[in-house]
Amino acid sequence: MDRSADTASGAQIRLRNLYKSYGEVAAVDDVSLDVPAGAFVSLLGPSGSGKTTTLNLIAGFLTPDRGDILIDNRSVADVPPHKRNIGMVFQSYSLFPHMTVADNVGFPLRMRSKLTRDEAKKRIAEMLALVQLSHLQTRYPRQLSGGQQQRVAMARALVSRPRLLLMDEPLGALDKKLREQMQTEIRRIHRSVGTTVVYVTHDQSEALTMSDLVVVMHRARIAQIGPPNALYETPTNAFVADFIGDSNLIDVAIVGVVGDRWTVKAGDGALIHAAPPAFAASAGDHAFLLIRPEDMTVRPLTKSAQETPMQGERIVGILKERSFHGDVFKLSIAVGGDLLKARVAREDGASFEVGQQIVLTWKSAAARLLPASDDVAGGRNAAP
Amino acid sequence: MTAIAEHAPPRAQAVQPQRAMPALLLLPALTWIAVFFLLPLVLMCWRSLAADGYSFKAYWIVFSSPLYTKVMLTTLESASIATVLALLLAYPMAYTLTITRGVWRGLLLMFVFIPYWVDIIVRTFSWLILLGDHGLINGLLRKLGIVHAPLPLLYSEFAVLVGMVQILLPLTIVVLFGAMLRIDRTLISAAKIHGASGWNAFRTVFFPLSLPGVYGAALLVFVLSLGFYVTPALLGSPRQTMVAQTIMVEASELLEWGQASAAGFILLVITTLIAAIYNRYFSLDRLWGGSDA
Amino acid sequence: MNPTADRIVLGAAAAAIVAYLIFPVIVVLAISFSAGNFLEFPPPGLSLRWYRAIAGDPEWVSAFMVTLKVGSLTALLATLLGVPAAFALVRYVVPAKALLSALILCALVTPPIVTAISTYLFFVPLGLDNSIVGLACAHAVSGMPFVVINTAASLRSADRNLERAAIIHGAHPLWAIARITLPIISPGIIIGAILAFVHSAHELLIAMFVLGGVGKPVTVKIWSDVQATSDPTIAAASAILIGLAILTFVSVSTAQALARRRNG
Repeated sequence: MDRSADTASGAQIRLRNLYKSYGEVAAVDDVSLDVPAGAFVSLLGPSGSGKTTTLNLIAGFLTPDRGDILIDNRSVADVPPHKRNIGMVFQSYSLFPHMTVADNVGFPLRMRSKLTRDEAKKRIAEMLALVQLSHLQTRYPRQLSGGQQQRVAMARALVSRPRLLLMDEPLGALDKKLREQMQTEIRRIHRSVGTTVVYVTHDQSEALTMSDLVVVMHRARIAQIGPPNALYETPTNAFVADFIGDSNLIDVAIVGVVGDRWTVKAGDGALIHAAPPAFAASAGDHAFLLIRPEDMTVRPLTKSAQETPMQGERIVGILKERSFHGDVFKLSIAVGGDLLKARVAREDGASFEVGQQIVLTWKSAAARLLPASDDVAGGRNAAP
Repeated sequence: MTAIAEHAPPRAQAVQPQRAMPALLLLPALTWIAVFFLLPLVLMCWRSLAADGYSFKAYWIVFSSPLYTKVMLTTLESASIATVLALLLAYPMAYTLTITRGVWRGLLLMFVFIPYWVDIIVRTFSWLILLGDHGLINGLLRKLGIVHAPLPLLYSEFAVLVGMVQILLPLTIVVLFGAMLRIDRTLISAAKIHGASGWNAFRTVFFPLSLPGVYGAALLVFVLSLGFYVTPALLGSPRQTMVAQTIMVEASELLEWGQASAAGFILLVITTLIAAIYNRYFSLDRLWGGSDA
Repeated sequence: MNPTADRIVLGAAAAAIVAYLIFPVIVVLAISFSAGNFLEFPPPGLSLRWYRAIAGDPEWVSAFMVTLKVGSLTALLATLLGVPAAFALVRYVVPAKALLSALILCALVTPPIVTAISTYLFFVPLGLDNSIVGLACAHAVSGMPFVVINTAASLRSADRNLERAAIIHGAHPLWAIARITLPIISPGIIIGAILAFVHSAHELLIAMFVLGGVGKPVTVKIWSDVQATSDPTIAAASAILIGLAILTFVSVSTAQALARRRNG
């Protein structure tokens, strides 16, 4: 990562066993996290997963029932929000309607710092240039578009050079194209400013695109932490596997182990080979088998196909549904009691027909075992 | 678990200001109500018992007095009839408000609220003018030849009710309107699409759903009617005397503070009981849009 | 019944009820301009003589001054007490919320005569009887709910993130509430304050006991006059009260509309 400012301009954040409940329901349950200085971290999860509560705890709008929050190795438990020196961007921008853009951006300087008028003006101009809105500084928020308002909010959040920037689903109200543009913008600004960013979103592709580190949250707990590619390639549980990217999760029982080769049995009795699991497992255990749709090769079942030797694993099923997604065709194939997802390139897709018998093959290294848990709803892959 | 200890700060200090805040904010209001409302009521109760040494004498006088009994019955009767009439008139009005939109609804609401800007005394005595022997109503009736001599409309139960209902209507309409707004209108559409006529859809779907609101409004209006003073005093004959008037006379003219306090306390108990019943079944907060979370 | 017939019936009923509600108000206003000597409707002619009579009568003028003073003080007290209470009810999960709502409703639902004699019994030993401040203190109790309810409604619909945006960027929480949130919810507060004022201006029974003598407010004077005389002065006095209330309402609404346009 290239940064024009030094890494020391971002704070190191540590969350230690955070717990916050409302009545009987835990909104954040034993959440611990280490964020390196200057990193862009996303809190990713469905609504109700606890990501916004965690953000509000870091901001100081909520007080944890248990646990601690450390910014630059100092606990902020007793520091009220307006003294934590944080910048924040809200989903509804929350620009002060009765102030101009310049006054909005300069607000933190008036509240916090001891800059002179001239110094403040310079800083404001600097920020507006960073977000490319210098020409709009005398306008009022209601005169700006959504994307422009969001950029003003960013400028305001960064003007006092905070070491931590919090962003609460800031792009939720924008349309797809604008969102993608803003994502690039935000990354650019992050790289040039170097502050630590904690970014809340429910959109997994957004988190994967923008982050150095992704924290997947589920039901008030952390499901997995890691860089985007790790979460995609090596999810450690069924929830993460399902939430990020497309997945096929099949209920299996571990039958036997020979060296590096694990054999599992699916519901209909089919025996499949899987890669060695990353968790403790033995014969007789139940587990989930993960195969990503894009890791499967799809061929119609022909006589010659039956005779040609193939690599890895194979399974035969019936094509139930075929849908067009622009760059690919997505297929639903019934195998035994499960419904598997696969995909084929645009030019091949047209040749498949519903009701056709299909052969799916994959490399056994692509078939990963995940712990059985009741976090993921059962029967998702069942045929209708 | 022990690993947490070295990082967990003393929680107590950070939490306390959070917990103290709501109490601090509510303290002024609660203290004020306690001092200027509850305390006087306690004092009044004490006064009712301290009439002649410490005894229930005042209550005994009130309970055994034929005057009070009659007045109480009249009060209950007038309040009940007024409540029913107010509901009957308010219902169609509230319903009309729910089906109007935008400008029309705003206009109607304005008309409902305008009488509120006029004080009760004046609203009541305008009926004095309208219902009098030379008033508008009699004048119209005579002009139309329906009667030859003026009808004695004033100083009657009729006049008192006419006055009371007019004063109670705005509040009744607003409470019913609020309750009706919460009824999901798509249910009516669902009924209609499955064969119910406008009237049947109303009868079998809307009306039953509006009943809780009706009960709530009824209880509230009834409680308010019990306390009426000006209207029966101006528009009624001695036969329509309501309990507030009697208490007033006892206190200000006869200076029988003990009995007045006793009677007042009994009235208070009745209204509080009714409000408590209402709260048990309907929850008071719903009246003003609900404070449910 | 076909839908159009339904609508006509409903419309007619609504119109009749509106007439029932409005007509007495019109009667009062019309009579206040009456050229005649008696309370008759329709009035024989139009004149401003009754308004002039009020303006020239020191008793009436003083009565209006008293009503204004009591009402303004009541509105002020109700606001100072009610706004923090509204914040507590909306922003915090207060365990005894239902109890609080009950208390507030109690003040609304207690028969006025009961409040009147109990307040009087309380004021006498304290020397608060016969005082404007005393009456305002009593009126503030029933005026408070208006402020609480309207402020709470405004507060609930306000965007809390504006306040948070100010706080996270360095503003002290109290500063943020005072300079960011209060201006946003001011319409609700002001409506509540006006309602408290109007409520006080119309109140009769407590006023009769506390200020029934020399410095009586308008309602008490109207009441004593209604039973004694029968000329249109009372109609004019009432019309002035209406006018005052409407004037306040209109000027405040205009001010708010202007402020809203400025704030977008």
